Amino acid sequence: MASGSKVTLKSSDDEFFDVTEAVALECGAIKNMIEDIGISSPILLPHVSRKIRSKVIQYCKYHVESQKPGVSEDEIKSRDQEFVKVDQAMLFELILAANYVNNQKLLDLTCQIVADMIKGKTLEEIHNTFNIKNDFTPEEEEEIRHENQWAFE
Amino acid sequence: MGANLSRVHESNEDGPYPGLADIPENCIAGIFKHLSPIDICKLARLNRAFKGAASCDYVWEHKLPVCYQELLSELAISKPLSLSKKEIYALLCRPISLDNGTKEVWLDKATGGVCLSISARAMAITGIDDHRYWKWIPCDESRFHEVAYLQQLWWFEVDGTVKFQLPAGEYSLCFRVRLGKVSRKLGCRIYSFEQIHGWDVRPVRFSLSTSDGQQVVQECYLEKTGRIESNVPVSYARGNWTDIYVGEFRVKIENKLTEVKFSMTQIDCTHSKGGICLDSVSIIPSKLRKEAIKAF
Repeated sequence: MASGSKVTLKSSDDEFFDVTEAVALECGAIKNMIEDIGISSPILLPHVSRKIRSKVIQYCKYHVESQKPGVSEDEIKSRDQEFVKVDQAMLFELILAANYVNNQKLLDLTCQIVADMIKGKTLEEIHNTFNIKNDFTPEEEEEIRHENQWAFE
Repeated sequence: MGANLSRVHESNEDGPYPGLADIPENCIAGIFKHLSPIDICKLARLNRAFKGAASCDYVWEHKLPVCYQELLSELAISKPLSLSKKEIYALLCRPISLDNGTKEVWLDKATGGVCLSISARAMAITGIDDHRYWKWIPCDESRFHEVAYLQQLWWFEVDGTVKFQLPAGEYSLCFRVRLGKVSRKLGCRIYSFEQIHGWDVRPVRFSLSTSDGQQVVQECYLEKTGRIESNVPVSYARGNWTDIYVGEFRVKIENKLTEVKFSMTQIDCTHSKGGICLDSVSIIPSKLRKEAIKAF
């Protein structure tokens, strides 16, 4: 397979999109599918919408480009920081998509952003910021608090 | 590949979007990779998915130092293999006694950094057996419950060495000392400073060296004669435990025993010195020391 070969991806809304093989191989799950069935048929990604797919491809593209000589680590870091300047909705969609297509670098980047948002917040603030419910009974919560007490002594 | 992907499928500009509540446990584990163990333990109370991820071996494996198996073997655990990585981490955060109780090692809770403390008992102190000079005093402020107290001596020399498999990184070494004696009367601490002398005459020489050739030597006065009318020596170390910073060394290769030698000497025989308590030497990751100083 030549490095210039094209791979066709098909997203959940039935849209086809071509990328170079190098870009497609950035995602572990797509890489596995290519190894199994080759590149002659489209790779189906039923769980990724067109909007998210194009964002993920954008990420894969500049990471492939950054492997060329002359691109510094700082430049990649700076592009990564720009890439994740997105709203919460997009951020979590990217996490789910990165997990689905198995792009560890993108998953790591997006998880870091969420970790930074969580740091320094109380549990109540996290519940409010992320609209996430506490699904424990008071007894269960007390038990967890007790189990983890060692970390706060 | 994750239980909640139907949300991604539905989500578009019009529909509901996924949030923190919708990401699978392995993604939460990915977030935990960037958070401290203390944050992870706090977040275990957030919801069930976070509780699950907070117990994953995968998360805690990254927090444990490379030498954790060796540390674990120092504890007499009946079924070490049945412990989760989180339980191992929690256990190793408590001080582990080594070498017949003369040394302690523990993990810093927030960072997993390996910290060592070497007691005065483990050190070679010139004249320690001569009661005219040195005494062992019980001390509840020492993790070893005793300190070596010097009344007076001309040749002050303390040498020590420690061999340990430290994870790669930079470490700071400090001597923990106090000027003055403390006794208890009716539950109160009584400080006595009469025997403190000689520390403002000449500086004390501190050194550390490693088996791979790193070396630091520094000198400092434990006291400086003040410019106050009474001409009484001024120092923070009177009555207060002080960690005197000697220097830093770097561990480059992880799976190797690092040997560190350290000493504290003042052997100018034209003057005697005394009234000092020697507790221990500490070796902690330099990052921790810098953070502690910032916080202080």
